[in-house]
Amino acid sequence: MDLAWYVLLGLFNACYLVLAGYDYGVGLLLARGGGAAERRAALTALGPFFLGNEVWLVAAVGILFGAFPLLEGELLAGCYPAVAGALAGVVLVTAGVQLRSRSTDERVRARWDRVVMIGSALAALGWGVLLAALLQGVPRQADGHVAGVSHLVTPFAAAVGLALVAVVAVHGATFLTLRLPSADAAVVGRTARRLVPVALTAVALATVVGLLSSRVRDAVQRPAVAVLLPVLLVAALLAARAALARRRPGWALVATGAALALPVGLVGAALWPYVLVSTTDPGASLTVADAAASAPTLRLLGWVALPLLPALLGFQAMCWWVFRGRTDGRAPVYW
Amino acid sequence: MDTLLLARLQFATTTSIHFLFVVVTLGLVTLLVGMQTAGVLTGNPKWERLTRYWGQLYVINYVLGIATGIVMEFQFGLNWSGLSRYVGNVFGAPLAIETLVAFFLESTFLGMWIFGWHRLRKGVHLALLWGVAITAYASAFWIMVANSWLQNPVGYEVRDGIAHLTDFGALLTNPSLGMAFGHVVSAALLVGGMVMAAVSAWHLIRRTTDFALFRTSLRIGLVTSALAISLVQGFGFAQFGPVGGVQPTKFGGQSPEAQALIAEWTARFGPGDYTPPVLASVGLGFMILTGFTLGCVWLLLPLLFRDWIIRLRFPLWLTLLALPLPFVAVILGWIAREVGRQPWVAYGLLSTEQAVSPVGAPVMLTSLIGFSLLLGTLAVTNWVLLARHAARGAADPPLGRPPAPPGEPAHPEPALV
Repeated sequence: MDLAWYVLLGLFNACYLVLAGYDYGVGLLLARGGGAAERRAALTALGPFFLGNEVWLVAAVGILFGAFPLLEGELLAGCYPAVAGALAGVVLVTAGVQLRSRSTDERVRARWDRVVMIGSALAALGWGVLLAALLQGVPRQADGHVAGVSHLVTPFAAAVGLALVAVVAVHGATFLTLRLPSADAAVVGRTARRLVPVALTAVALATVVGLLSSRVRDAVQRPAVAVLLPVLLVAALLAARAALARRRPGWALVATGAALALPVGLVGAALWPYVLVSTTDPGASLTVADAAASAPTLRLLGWVALPLLPALLGFQAMCWWVFRGRTDGRAPVYW
Repeated sequence: MDTLLLARLQFATTTSIHFLFVVVTLGLVTLLVGMQTAGVLTGNPKWERLTRYWGQLYVINYVLGIATGIVMEFQFGLNWSGLSRYVGNVFGAPLAIETLVAFFLESTFLGMWIFGWHRLRKGVHLALLWGVAITAYASAFWIMVANSWLQNPVGYEVRDGIAHLTDFGALLTNPSLGMAFGHVVSAALLVGGMVMAAVSAWHLIRRTTDFALFRTSLRIGLVTSALAISLVQGFGFAQFGPVGGVQPTKFGGQSPEAQALIAEWTARFGPGDYTPPVLASVGLGFMILTGFTLGCVWLLLPLLFRDWIIRLRFPLWLTLLALPLPFVAVILGWIAREVGRQPWVAYGLLSTEQAVSPVGAPVMLTSLIGFSLLLGTLAVTNWVLLARHAARGAADPPLGRPPAPPGEPAHPEPALV
């Protein structure tokens, strides 16, 4: 039961990173200096999916609270600055994307676009630091609380944060390559390919820093899984580059999506059976089973989730299907 | 400053901003469902124009509802980790259900509704708005289940200091839930109706174009407000019985029941201040006064006959000037409900002191200032945009604008957005 919910939590987090990942990627790419029309075309490509993407975060945290209440409190409060930063980023992106076109003044819109850009960077950076915090362990005391917030300030956390920003940017560019009209797609496809080496460098840097960090080495329970993570990430990024070169943006998006989904699953597997590894007191490490809600709660949530999951996925799939294909002059413009 | 006070201030700020927007969301979506349904059934283009105009305002307002809602959700873990540690097994369940059953689907449906004009069949497009409305009400329901549990914890047993769920049904039949849910939902309808009436009144005072359109929405708004205010008052007064029964200290510690409960708490938890601040009862008094004032909206209804309300003009001014009142009332109402459960997070079970996260005051202060500035700025910006779009009229709102007909040059940059 615990494991099933843990997998579901991972699934929702992975879906959030993959789907909202291209929201933030598109947000970051608003910085690439195109004109007003180009920026608007990028947001139109995002259009109908945007709200449905962001809401995976809400559902993931809902599952975290309902099924793993202890983890929710300790993780969020224990990594306060990372979570608060990511949260501020998410709020800026949500508000910026939806409000930027409610003004007719191009200068105001450009200002909103900068808000979206900053928000996207903050969100990716914050979630990256949180992921790093899991991998490098937290100073959880015997009383069950995480002491202080300075444990987040490590080269590894910074490297993982930057790596996530880079991967998200590649993902966003790949999404635009798939979704924009063919003529514009060629341009953004080149951007995506140029961004792949940047992301590869960032991933390599995070890997080296992680291997050198004694905290990471101590916290990881399954070194083989942890080493597999950067290997698969590099493979996914190279696959994306190859697919982009062969003008197969669909497969490229699958590859960059995998690069964002893999970390969630592999970090979970590398730490198993723990979810929060204590760096100060081995006895204070939190296992998945201890973090989970008690059986009656999980049973109740199970009965709710079982019929609901097909509906949630079905309506999301309906959204993807209805608005599939490249945008053109007749695509609805609203953001 | 201590962490607890800062965390409470942040909760008050975020919740208040959140509610000012979600109350409009809930009220307007109900009226939008009515208008779009009428449009599909009658085929009269007037209803489609009304839906696009009010839908545009609804969608702008929704932005802050979702932004503050996400912060609300994270705030429990960030600032109140004791809540998840001690009572998460019970309190977490309705919140998890809310995100999956309601919030998730609501946003998915709304995204498709915004972009689905002229692309989906009319019936499907209408069904999406119904979906948005139903999930919005479901959202309000589950949040009220969770909040009512904090007011009056039921259906649990404490083992090793941790609350475990024993009877989920008890959460749904909680005495502090039923009337409060009715009260909140009718308050949302009141706010939605008042917003619609006041904006229409402004257009009618200014004699802008689209007289017929705003005449219709003025009438819808006023009738909705009148019906809703009576429901608000009914559910409001009906709450006093159940709330007094389960939370005797809510409105001061004078009654014998309150004294007995305080004596019991003192025996169990040690001496302490177990009466809530007077702020709770003062706010309640003002809210009730505002509620009675708003009841006067019934006096305007006879003036709808032969458009006397428009010809006399001063009732239009009254309607416009009354717009802040329901917003003030809903905030005062929430202050009464939330401050009234002090010093508890979960009444008689978990104190705010135990529930607050063990983070340092500087971190909490930074978070309070940062998020208050962020959400405050966004809220003001959002209201300015709402006012501008309300004033712009229904000539050609970007929401639901037909795409360029094939053959003509496509214009991804419409002139009027």
